[in-house]
Amino acid sequence: MASDLENLIGTIEKLSIKPVYDTNWCDMPAEIKLECIGKMDLNERLSLRCTAQAEKSLVDSQKIEFNYGRFCGHDEGFFGFVLYSDNKCNLWKHLYNKSETIGLMKYIKNVGVFENLYISFGNLFADNEQFATDDGLFTAKNIEFRKCDINNIISVLNKLKEGVESIKMNGKMSDDLSQILAISHIQNVPYWHIEYYNKTDSLRMVAQMWIETNSKIGSIFQVSVKRNGSFEEFLEHFDDRIVYFQVDKSKDERRVRIRTENADIHILLERGLDDSVAIDFADEYFRLMVIPAEMKECEYEDDCQEWICKIDTEIYEYDSDNSVDDYDYEDYDNYERDWYDSDNDGWNPDNY
Amino acid sequence: MSSTEQGTSSAAPAEPTTAPESAAAPEVPESFYYVHGKDKVVHKVSAGALQHSALIHGMISNLGYTEEQAKANPFPFENIDGDILQMVVDWCNQHKGKPTPPEDTNLPKQKEKLFDLVLAVNYLEIKELLTYCCKQVAMMVKGKSPEEIREIWMIPTDAEDEAAEKEAKKRAGKEAAGETAAAAGDAK
Repeated sequence: MASDLENLIGTIEKLSIKPVYDTNWCDMPAEIKLECIGKMDLNERLSLRCTAQAEKSLVDSQKIEFNYGRFCGHDEGFFGFVLYSDNKCNLWKHLYNKSETIGLMKYIKNVGVFENLYISFGNLFADNEQFATDDGLFTAKNIEFRKCDINNIISVLNKLKEGVESIKMNGKMSDDLSQILAISHIQNVPYWHIEYYNKTDSLRMVAQMWIETNSKIGSIFQVSVKRNGSFEEFLEHFDDRIVYFQVDKSKDERRVRIRTENADIHILLERGLDDSVAIDFADEYFRLMVIPAEMKECEYEDDCQEWICKIDTEIYEYDSDNSVDDYDYEDYDNYERDWYDSDNDGWNPDNY
Repeated sequence: MSSTEQGTSSAAPAEPTTAPESAAAPEVPESFYYVHGKDKVVHKVSAGALQHSALIHGMISNLGYTEEQAKANPFPFENIDGDILQMVVDWCNQHKGKPTPPEDTNLPKQKEKLFDLVLAVNYLEIKELLTYCCKQVAMMVKGKSPEEIREIWMIPTDAEDEAAEKEAKKRAGKEAAGETAAAAGDAK
């Protein structure tokens, strides 16, 4: 017993040789620095990475989680960044210089892990080589595009890490759907939608892509279309695959189910029609789903309100409590803002 | 009733009864260890408090000893300043057997003390206290510009770093040349 204690004391003495006396940040072990950086807000991380190259490398190796990120190019020629962590705004910044913008975006892209990411570049980076050649990846669970050039969308989709759960985009930029359908994230994402699509080919093209890629059960695509004919085009294209077709005139409800190359899975197309969305409504709402072949008709959902609201939140003036989608990140003034852009905030583009 | 019968009877399973309080198992007396830092001031710490330190806990688990032996042989942490070890011991005693709160506002605000504490806590592997300390370190630079951070934490610029590195290399080169010359002299 006594010898155990003596041995232990000997061990501690040996371990204690290196003095724990340095009081300089630079002498702290990297793992402690990283632990400290992990406790810093984005603003402090940005400042620290400007102090020295070694600090920059450390800061850049530490991920930071954001509930919400918004990257917006504005017609006035500036670019806005809005980032929220723990539902608190920790970056709200406007930059006028494209190179600076890309520098900051590159950093945020590399370290940010986004729950929700909103991208509205406009035409800002359409022909920007620096943006196009940057091969860093965005990490986002849910991503939404607005006012984006098609090349930007494709570029960002190609810069997404695996694991994206939903992709939302606006029809104005989906002119060339085939390019978008060729992207692996689109082929594998559990949910994606296009709002205000202005052609009638989306349903058949997505279903065709799913057939060709043997898509997983549960995959969903939704679209709101500003013209008639999508349903009819789908019927015509898959005429030889139809296993079920329903037109309930009393409810104006339409469904069609087609077989795929895989005997275990079918694709179900539904048009959303109810008291609020009538047959003569200006926009048509569709949901396309990959379902198990054994799914029974009685298992279909009768209520289309919920899924229509995912693509058009205003139509029912729907309001769900605690929904991330409904969190009004645009209403910045209602939330605590820790930091607002200023010219002497330590942001040094030379360091990016 | 014969004594044998009585004996048989008493051997039968007895009805469960509530044991009188006086018969309850006596509490095991808490064991203590003794530690000292660079200043050799000995601190008495209970085994319960030392559970916060993964390093010490790992070392003392299942170690049999007497109070006298432990007292006579305090664990020497020569690399930790006395007042820092005192802070650590106080924290461990304060949080003995308790769930740690989300915040700890009693940490030193003074940079040198805080960094010493961080390093000591990291060495002793006290995870919860390390989390508090790192949070406190992060708070030191809250809202500060790069220049201010550089000043607060004495971070050299890349140019200063390079110059220092060059200087160190130069010095090392000179020392090596000196050693070679001395060795050549010895050989002669």
